[in-house]
Amino acid sequence: MFHYIGPIAHGIGSTLTITFAAYAIGLVLGIPIVVARSSRLRVVRLLAISFVEIFRGIPGIAWLFILYYGLAQLDVQISSMTAAICGLGLIAAAYMAEIYRAGLRAVPHGQFEAARALGMGTVQVYRSIVGPQAFVTSFPPAATYVIGLLKESAVASVIGAQEITGVALGQQQEASTQGLSVFLAASAVYLALSLPLAGIARYADVWLARRVAGAEAA
Amino acid sequence: MESLDDSPAAPSAPADAATGAPVVSGPLVAEAAAMASAAGIPRVQVEQLGMRFGTHDAVIGVDLEVAVGEVVAVIGPSGSGRSTMLRCINHLESPTSGRVLIDGTAIADPGGREPGPRELAALRRQVGMVFQSFNLFPHLTAIENVMIAQVKVLGRTKAEARTRAMQLLERVGIAEKADSRPRRCSGGQQQRIAIARALALEPKLMLFDEPTSALDPELGLEVLAVMRELAKEGMTMIVVTHEMHFAEDVADRVIFMADGRIVEEGTAQQVIRHPREERTRKFLRAVLDR
Ligand SMILES: Nc1ncnc2c1ncn2[C@@H]1O[C@H](COP(=O)(O)OP(=O)(O)OP(=O)(O)O)[C@@H](O)[C@H]1O
Ligand SMILES: [Mg+2]
Repeated sequence: MFHYIGPIAHGIGSTLTITFAAYAIGLVLGIPIVVARSSRLRVVRLLAISFVEIFRGIPGIAWLFILYYGLAQLDVQISSMTAAICGLGLIAAAYMAEIYRAGLRAVPHGQFEAARALGMGTVQVYRSIVGPQAFVTSFPPAATYVIGLLKESAVASVIGAQEITGVALGQQQEASTQGLSVFLAASAVYLALSLPLAGIARYADVWLARRVAGAEAA
Repeated sequence: MESLDDSPAAPSAPADAATGAPVVSGPLVAEAAAMASAAGIPRVQVEQLGMRFGTHDAVIGVDLEVAVGEVVAVIGPSGSGRSTMLRCINHLESPTSGRVLIDGTAIADPGGREPGPRELAALRRQVGMVFQSFNLFPHLTAIENVMIAQVKVLGRTKAEARTRAMQLLERVGIAEKADSRPRRCSGGQQQRIAIARALALEPKLMLFDEPTSALDPELGLEVLAVMRELAKEGMTMIVVTHEMHFAEDVADRVIFMADGRIVEEGTAQQVIRHPREERTRKFLRAVLDR
């Protein structure tokens, strides 16, 4: 199994690129979606809800197929990496919007009132008062999600991206084995990436809770 | 994450919340206010105020005028509509009928011209509010709580805001807690921080909604002491409270509300010691004879 780790490690860069680029799209795009969900306009609210439900409802693997081959049929050529990043990014946006929404709902109503009573406008209320508090509550689920996304990025292999799973599939074919040792090696590489990520997330969570939420110092 | 200390420098002129455009109404409102008090216009005029939640009338036909420098205590049983009335005065609640004027300018006018978001924010800056549950910002330290609106709403520099905030914390007697988070302060300290936070915008009117109800009696005294000082300095105040001693000592006028209406009003002596209405007597027996 160990001699597969070397070649598979070549996929690490792509796996991390897909994961973090898609996550970044989700982090940013999740904000307008959550804002749209509480819009005064029904149409806008409906669009936001549809977006969330559609992208949470379609399996990543199916969506990447549709995106990649669908665009190809329309004569739009994009690389499998780009397709994977954008495709998973949209799914991440749907999840992040829900995570933000839960974070916002956890902020007590009195915080909005106190801020408005001080003459703050809506944007200021969210930016200075509600946003920072919602961020703290959103952090643990958001960190859990990025670890899930690291694994989910494996579906990029179905459209030919040479990330960890894509490389492993290639190795398996080349060696014409059943692939037990190849995928044991791939799993070891995924674990080597996700464990530190989980560690960082836990540390950041404690730090945030202390710094930002004002929890008692340990 | 936005903390006061690493956010970009504050704009030098007050900027509007939603658009970032300079606020034109600020000085104009101040000017209007100066003219208003010179002309003897009351600080607050509440006219035929009505607030209906679904089919339930929380406030019905309330008329109230508060003069500059006057302290009005509002007493009454739970559910009598005192909080709702108070919250209509700074338009945290949109009344369903009637009008509320601050220095002659409408802050709530459902039947006429309601102020736009910008005008509303500018008017609210002149009205400080203190809540029963404090509602301090937990992600900010005590001094940052007192600074934030100065920086974000008035556009003061952080240095100015800090100096002013420190003065206010000293005035309410908790300078030593300046760098603590609200969670590490006692209830009485938290409420005093909340008062300092409201005073930081130099309001012309302070609204208090049962500011001591969530506190132990002793901690409540600290808060009442600060409020007495404020009243002595001439602040116009409307105080919803169950503290009868405070009402008797400090309030120029006491209003008794029940079932959404003002049942009786007069000096503290009249309303608390010699109530005319049976409804008032019944309430006061319950409060005083325990
Ligand atoms: N947002 C709301 N939706 C529906 N009903 C409300 C709302 N706010 C207040 N009410 C109702 O309006 C009435 C008056 O409430 P309000 O909070 O003004 O009373 P209060 O005199 O402050 O009493 P207390 O604070 O002691 O409960 C109550 O019957 C209350 O249930
Ligand atoms: Mg109340």
